[in-house]
Amino acid sequence: MNTGLLWTVGLAVLSVALALLLAPLYEGLMRKLKAAIHSRIGPPITQPYLDLFKLLGKEDLRTAGGLLYTAAPALSLGSVLLLALLVPMGARPPFAFAGDIVVLLYVSAISAVLLMLTAFGSGSPYASVGSSREMMMLLSVEPVMVVALVVGALKAGTLATGDIIAWQLEHGPTISMAIAGIAFFLALQAQAGKLPFDIPEADQEIMGGPLIEQSGPRLALFRWAAWSKQFVLAVLLVEVFLPWPGTGVFALDLVLTLVKAFVVLVVVALVDVVNPRLRIDQAMQYYLRVAFSSIAALAFAVIGM
Amino acid sequence: MLLAKLREAWICLKAGRVTLPYPFAPHDPAEGFRGKITLDPDLCFGCGGCANVCPAGVIVVNDTGQHTRLLEFFWRRCTYCGRCEEVCPEGAITLSQQFETATDKPEDMYMRLEVFMGPCQRCGRCFTPPTPLERMMLTGFRNGNGGRA
Amino acid sequence: MTIAQAAANRTVDLVRERVGAMLVAATQPHADTLRLQVDKRVVRAAAGVLADELGARFMITTGIDRRELGGGFGIVHLFSLDREHVFVLLDCAVAANDEHIDSITPVVPGANWAEREFRDSVGVHPDGHPDPRRLLLADDWPDGVWPLRRDVPYNLQPPPAEGMQPPLREPPAGASVVTMGPFFPVLEEPSQWRLFVEGETIVGCDYRGFYNHRGIEKLGDSVLTYNEIPYLAERICGICGFIHSTCYCQAVEKAAGIEVPRRARYIRTLMLELERIHSHLLWLGIAGHIVGFDTVLMQTWRIREPVMWLSEEISGNRKTYGMNTIGGLRRDISPELGRKVLDVLEEVERESLAVRDAIVGDGTLMARTKDVGVLTNQTARSVCVVGPPARASGVPIDARVDHPYAAYDEVPVRIAVHQEGDTWARVLVRVEELLESIRLVREALAAMPEGPVLTEVKEEIPPGRVGVSVVEAPRGEAVHMVETGGDNRPYRWRVRAPTYPNLQAMPTMVANNTIADVPIALGSLDPCFSCTERVEAVDVTTRRVTVYTRQDLLRISRSAAVTP
Repeated sequence: MNTGLLWTVGLAVLSVALALLLAPLYEGLMRKLKAAIHSRIGPPITQPYLDLFKLLGKEDLRTAGGLLYTAAPALSLGSVLLLALLVPMGARPPFAFAGDIVVLLYVSAISAVLLMLTAFGSGSPYASVGSSREMMMLLSVEPVMVVALVVGALKAGTLATGDIIAWQLEHGPTISMAIAGIAFFLALQAQAGKLPFDIPEADQEIMGGPLIEQSGPRLALFRWAAWSKQFVLAVLLVEVFLPWPGTGVFALDLVLTLVKAFVVLVVVALVDVVNPRLRIDQAMQYYLRVAFSSIAALAFAVIGM
Repeated sequence: MLLAKLREAWICLKAGRVTLPYPFAPHDPAEGFRGKITLDPDLCFGCGGCANVCPAGVIVVNDTGQHTRLLEFFWRRCTYCGRCEEVCPEGAITLSQQFETATDKPEDMYMRLEVFMGPCQRCGRCFTPPTPLERMMLTGFRNGNGGRA
Repeated sequence: MTIAQAAANRTVDLVRERVGAMLVAATQPHADTLRLQVDKRVVRAAAGVLADELGARFMITTGIDRRELGGGFGIVHLFSLDREHVFVLLDCAVAANDEHIDSITPVVPGANWAEREFRDSVGVHPDGHPDPRRLLLADDWPDGVWPLRRDVPYNLQPPPAEGMQPPLREPPAGASVVTMGPFFPVLEEPSQWRLFVEGETIVGCDYRGFYNHRGIEKLGDSVLTYNEIPYLAERICGICGFIHSTCYCQAVEKAAGIEVPRRARYIRTLMLELERIHSHLLWLGIAGHIVGFDTVLMQTWRIREPVMWLSEEISGNRKTYGMNTIGGLRRDISPELGRKVLDVLEEVERESLAVRDAIVGDGTLMARTKDVGVLTNQTARSVCVVGPPARASGVPIDARVDHPYAAYDEVPVRIAVHQEGDTWARVLVRVEELLESIRLVREALAAMPEGPVLTEVKEEIPPGRVGVSVVEAPRGEAVHMVETGGDNRPYRWRVRAPTYPNLQAMPTMVANNTIADVPIALGSLDPCFSCTERVEAVDVTTRRVTVYTRQDLLRISRSAAVTP
């Protein structure tokens, strides 16, 4: 029992540490790749850490009051770290239990909702426009994520993430899971806030969108939450949809997961750098099409493929 | 459409990184670059031709006595057009290749040159502007600040 | 008889037929310039004749203070008969004690801003103007002080006035306001667009601009001399400086009858086309940046950079070339430099073609530009839009063909015309023009004659002459009009940049688009606010000092931020 508890606690600490400390590095590498495609040198890969450091040291200026508004950035980061605890990284997730995939889906939406509430509360018309766009994106993207994960749940016959992975490792790649994986990747592009779907933060159109009134430590926490979320969701993607090879050795599995997540984020960055931004109505139509296609994955899953 | 994206990516990758190492390495401008003005006071004999043609009013001429001409140079107004260089008969005022002209000392922006004009006092202006357009200066030498802020 | 002469004769006859004795005089100062002096009471009728019956295109209006010449005020409407290569000056005298004239805007919608402008600059009121708000004077400039009157000193700094800012229109019922500007990421220069939106759809907009006034026209007729003005003209715009200095020099050369050597005309053509090349590449980058496609920005500007280095080698500076002077050019181009131009352009052409081939198949880019910011052919004609926005809406006007200048009579241009009128069409027009410019530079270099590059001006420039010159800037047609004065400077120098009429088309272009489309629609006009806003007397300095505490600022920003 003791070792089990120790294991869980250690894994939890490790998951949170990775989500917090490694996420800015991944973002830095993505920026470097973007710069290379732009034919320029770009910032150093440690730039996101420097950004966070600088912002955390600035004055905490708030344009509105209220407990929720004040606590929103910390809560947002907290929800992403909670998500990290529900996502497997090289082993079963620290907070694994039956039905944890449902909780995972709910928790993944919390940071977006908090962002929207903050933006509406900050009082800037640009933030309001950005916030409504964020809401429309969330409504378009969440169903796709749900369907993708439900395909996995359907095949494995369980709602526990760890069990779905175990099933995948046992049965190898299937058509339905491949389609679901691609759908999840497309959803990740929007969740990571990358082009062509960085519509809520479109700075050329609405001056920075929801985060326009946030500065200093609040901005630091919101950004950190965003980077951690993109990292955690990438890890989730590779764990659930690309778990092979599963060596069974924890350290090796963890390293493999991190490498695969890096590759996924490289692809995200490449898609980001060769695309302009879509309009919100165009993005919603796009995700509607993706949702319908992922229903095809459900069909395949039902017939056993 | 994927082909279009691949083509775009290929254009980018083929170009490589094009960032110049400047300012960590020098970067000289082209020959004939119109840079910062250099003045050789020994060559100047105070004709004031440069003051006549400067569009920005950099050079202001005052005769402070029977024998002395005062030339004041307000360098911050200079637009590097090069008309002074074209007109100077002695080549005293020239444009260099220097383009790093930022300074935090306002004194760098002002220069004064006193020229002893010599005994001929009837026509202190011994230089004839080349075209009739230049001759038809309404205000002649501009006094004080030249009326400009 | 030439086409121009026949058209001039026909114009005089028709106007005389319509207004009879109110046509005071009809003169032809140059082969391509017709001056009709009409009684101010028939100005609207005369404008109607020109615009509706003769199909003339309105260009700009100039307000001139002729009181010291004994003539009250002059309101000169400039029209162009494009197909016939004729400029028509509709000159009306306004008595000094009756500062009113009928507005021609009801008949010529494109004259809207021009009339507001002459009201602000010389104080002659356009009666019957549908929107007589202040256009270019600052929000705290006092009423009754008209800067371009000759008795107002160029460096006047009147005490700030209260309550003079023009009221901005209110949104229609049910719509809210989203303000773009005065400072906004997409706009390089300040301007305020008040968008009336329902949800994300635009239902109307209002504009307040002219924050970038620098008093250029006033400096031109008060402090600077003929040969100093090119250096000011080239600073009207940071992208098309050579266009403005060439246009001004051509206007003076025309007025004074100075013949520029052929070689100088060819070199001017070469530099003008080089400027078009770098400007269109710059614009492609900006357009990409506006839709979030930063890769296009980086790559097109990388391709453009050798052109800037080339300009530096030719003229001594990347931009403000300082090459133009009355009578020709100050610098020549050596044969080695000519060869270098060809080498650089070969590389630029290769890369531009690669970029064009890549973006033509790009679905996401087209999704953001097709059917966005549509400018119909009819609106383009009635608002008198110029340049690529006009050509993309099927209006085939181009100053290089309509009023050939520099060496364009010997190096003809093939203009690019599309019919759809949306942003994508404007992209295509500019890409085609870019490739055409490269071809023109090659032709100009191949055909360049030997000889001097400067005509010595041996005589005084006589006063009272008029010269109108147009140059096709990358953004459209730029017009300079010069009336010569007697003290080595123009009596009146009028500048109209191409963005001036183009901005007036914005409300119709953004109607029924979404907020997300406004930046790219505006960007596709390739607006150059610095070019547009140069008429006024003086630097605007507000001497008001108010100390806001931090609490005041927070309170103001919170309360002002709540949208209705």
